[in-house]
Amino acid sequence: MKFQSCSSERQFAPTQVTNEPTHVGCYKIFTLLFALVCAGNLFAADATADFNAANKLYAEGKFAAAAGAYEKILQSGTVSTALYFNYGDAEFKLGRLGRAIAAYRRAELLAPRDDEVRANLDFVRKQVAGPVWSESRWEQWLGTLTLNEWTVLAAGAFWLAFSLFAVRQVRPVWRSRLRGLTAGVVGLTVFLCAGLGAVAAMHFSQPTAVVVEPEATARSGPFAEAQDVFQVHDGAELAVLDHRDHWWQVTDGSGRIGWLPAKQVEILPGA
Amino acid sequence: MVFECKMFGMERLRGKCYLDWRDRKLSWVPVAAGFCLLVLCLAVTPARAASFTASLDNDTLTLGQSATLSLTFEGGQPKNVPTPSVAGLQFSQAGTSQNVSWVNGAMSSTVTVAFSVTPQRAGEFAIPAMSVDVDGQPLTSQPLSLKVVQPGAASTAQIDSGSQIAFMKLTFPEGRVYAGEVVTANLQIYLRDDVRNFGNFQFTATPADGFTLGKMSEGQAQRAQIGSRVYTVMPVAIALTATRTGTLSLGPLTANLTLVIASPNQPNDPFFRQFGMRDPFGNFGEDQKQVSLATETVNVQSLPLPAENVPSNFNGAIGEYTMAVTAGPTNVAVGDPITVHIQISGRGDLGALTLPEQPAWHDFTVYPPTAKVATTDPLGLQGAKTFEEIVAPQNTDVHELPPFSFSYFDPDAGSYRTLTEPSVALAVRSAGTPAVPTVAAAQTAAAENPTPPADILPIKDEPGALATAGPPLVTRPAFLAVQALPVLAFLAAFVWRKRTDHLANNPRLRRERAVAALIASGMDDLKKYAAENKPDEFFATLFRLLQEQLGERLDCPASAITENVIDEHPVLRGAPKTTLDGLRELFQLCNQARYAPVRGTGELNSVAAQFEKVISQLQELKA
Repeated sequence: MKFQSCSSERQFAPTQVTNEPTHVGCYKIFTLLFALVCAGNLFAADATADFNAANKLYAEGKFAAAAGAYEKILQSGTVSTALYFNYGDAEFKLGRLGRAIAAYRRAELLAPRDDEVRANLDFVRKQVAGPVWSESRWEQWLGTLTLNEWTVLAAGAFWLAFSLFAVRQVRPVWRSRLRGLTAGVVGLTVFLCAGLGAVAAMHFSQPTAVVVEPEATARSGPFAEAQDVFQVHDGAELAVLDHRDHWWQVTDGSGRIGWLPAKQVEILPGA
Repeated sequence: MVFECKMFGMERLRGKCYLDWRDRKLSWVPVAAGFCLLVLCLAVTPARAASFTASLDNDTLTLGQSATLSLTFEGGQPKNVPTPSVAGLQFSQAGTSQNVSWVNGAMSSTVTVAFSVTPQRAGEFAIPAMSVDVDGQPLTSQPLSLKVVQPGAASTAQIDSGSQIAFMKLTFPEGRVYAGEVVTANLQIYLRDDVRNFGNFQFTATPADGFTLGKMSEGQAQRAQIGSRVYTVMPVAIALTATRTGTLSLGPLTANLTLVIASPNQPNDPFFRQFGMRDPFGNFGEDQKQVSLATETVNVQSLPLPAENVPSNFNGAIGEYTMAVTAGPTNVAVGDPITVHIQISGRGDLGALTLPEQPAWHDFTVYPPTAKVATTDPLGLQGAKTFEEIVAPQNTDVHELPPFSFSYFDPDAGSYRTLTEPSVALAVRSAGTPAVPTVAAAQTAAAENPTPPADILPIKDEPGALATAGPPLVTRPAFLAVQALPVLAFLAAFVWRKRTDHLANNPRLRRERAVAALIASGMDDLKKYAAENKPDEFFATLFRLLQEQLGERLDCPASAITENVIDEHPVLRGAPKTTLDGLRELFQLCNQARYAPVRGTGELNSVAAQFEKVISQLQELKA
């Protein structure tokens, strides 16, 4: 359809100079689409092969090499729950609790209802010395869906609500029949939008810093010469308050506030 | 407002209203009389000069007590009374009171602003003169002095005489301590038998040289006879940690206390005394008294830990402890975690206990331990500290978790002690080897490991749905833009509905549109008939269109339209003459066509053009 209109425009636009016949242009677009699909398949095939290779390294006990292989796939921009999960396992085997927790939490962001991710995250958290991260029941409940799932649900309800509004305008005789359904859908929309707002607020405004060094010293200011405030260990999860240059201001939940260098922490979104 | 209305508007009242006022006037007599009297008194009261004085209710305080500073303004209203500021004294406003007195026709008013003065340290203080604006007149108070003394410990003679209503004693059971040792000091608060109640106990100073103060715990009250009086003794235990060697000192501890004591007047009421009776209302006569208490300074000798026979893994633990160690799982792969629980129980500074390095665990990766302290006494010196340490074997040559040892210094024995738990047997396989399935025969071995198996779950074999990392949907502009579509659809439906409803409720508008559509299609028919040279159909259509358009404009049925309406209908009287002439001509042409139907295409086209012009003029005509 699109290509037909394209060719008809050329037919009735003599001032538009082109050296290519119409079918050549359509062919190019087809080729481009085909190339994109093939590239996607190739990309997935490559990533899967890399993933399997990394799994093999892990099974051989070469955890450092496995972690590096998983990290390389992640750095290429490919993500999946299994990828983050396995990366977390490899980091844990290397004794890097912070990196393992960060990986599991990223996996949890993609698949919050994955029991295996939750189990490993809880297990590693128990190994961490110092303050333990805990979520309120409300945050746990909101976290059962990803931000994108909340978004899609809220958008779907939003579309449905406005579609019903439009139908009520087009067919006024259906108004009484649709009244209950409309009220229910509006209520659902409000509820889902409120949930989306809460999850988005957590995601964007409550980031967490995970300590990825064996020991890190929080300082009173964002510079290396500042006074020591408190020490945290590998895997400690701290609420982020502020960010300046290469420093993150964090609090450990007991009221202590300090600045940690960016290289000693990995920053994760809140939900 | 009502009063003014009645007073100044009464001469204008007439008839019924006037009678109404007359009925009520008696109730205003006292008010009016009072008002006049007040005005008279104010007039005769001589103007008196305003004055400003400052005073302290107590010019000598013991540290911990408070005094009241009163700023008194007589004969005027102060504005913006400042809060005094003196280094070492804390001022807080305690309230403002006003007193109006009337003596022999002279009225005087006194405003008192009170501040509570709390000294922060001992010494002599000068409260400077203050300047306040009183009714536009700047007035200055006199400066004041306040002496604050340190509370002193009661002497033995004072205690024995029973003259002290309350006092404190500080004792130290241990004659010597070791640096780092946690000890307990005993503080005893003595309250004489006439103290009925007490409260607001608060330490004002706890000087400790070489000690850090820990928790405090109040014990069971006891009674003790001292001299001729009986005292209630409140014991308070204080946990202390010696931080250095040498002579350490504690005290003098000072504290404030509010006592409720029997009022001295009530029990000695002469009326009841002459009958040898106690005042039966004496219980209601109670006074509150704030007292400051102080202890003597106590010195203790602190010794260094012995330098001989120090265990290699001693890491500063002092006290008296026992230890229990468990580990599991014992059947693991290389790199798998083994959870080791180490429980150290006993008496000492449990919070400061740390696990010593275990050099024998060189074949294990050791993660930082987590710890949990459970105390069994209020001072937090007795209980257990449980460490949970994760270790992971590094190779398959590991067959046991080596013995765990912990050393501490026992201050009672004055020597070091070492606790050692035996090794734990392990079965370590290579990382890729799956665990041997548990069979019935192996259940005995499993039962020997009370700690449940704990390890991370193995890696996933399938990569799952691979995707490209991207920002959340909610931040993508395209996604947000798409959300506008249902809103736009709704708005379009809403506008359409409004227009439809408007049309349905307006028959004239509906007819106007229908006629406009009819005229548009009729014009095409006229042109077609003109081109085909069909004058009969042409003029029949023309006449019908004229009827429809005029009927719509004049709001009457189209069938009722004839040439006569041009001259008779009031709406058309306001139409331009050219329009009316054009209409007449068209009607006449239609009439003539019945009798002389033969016309050419050109003439029909010109008639059609004229019709189009007249119709457009007619459509502009206000209906």
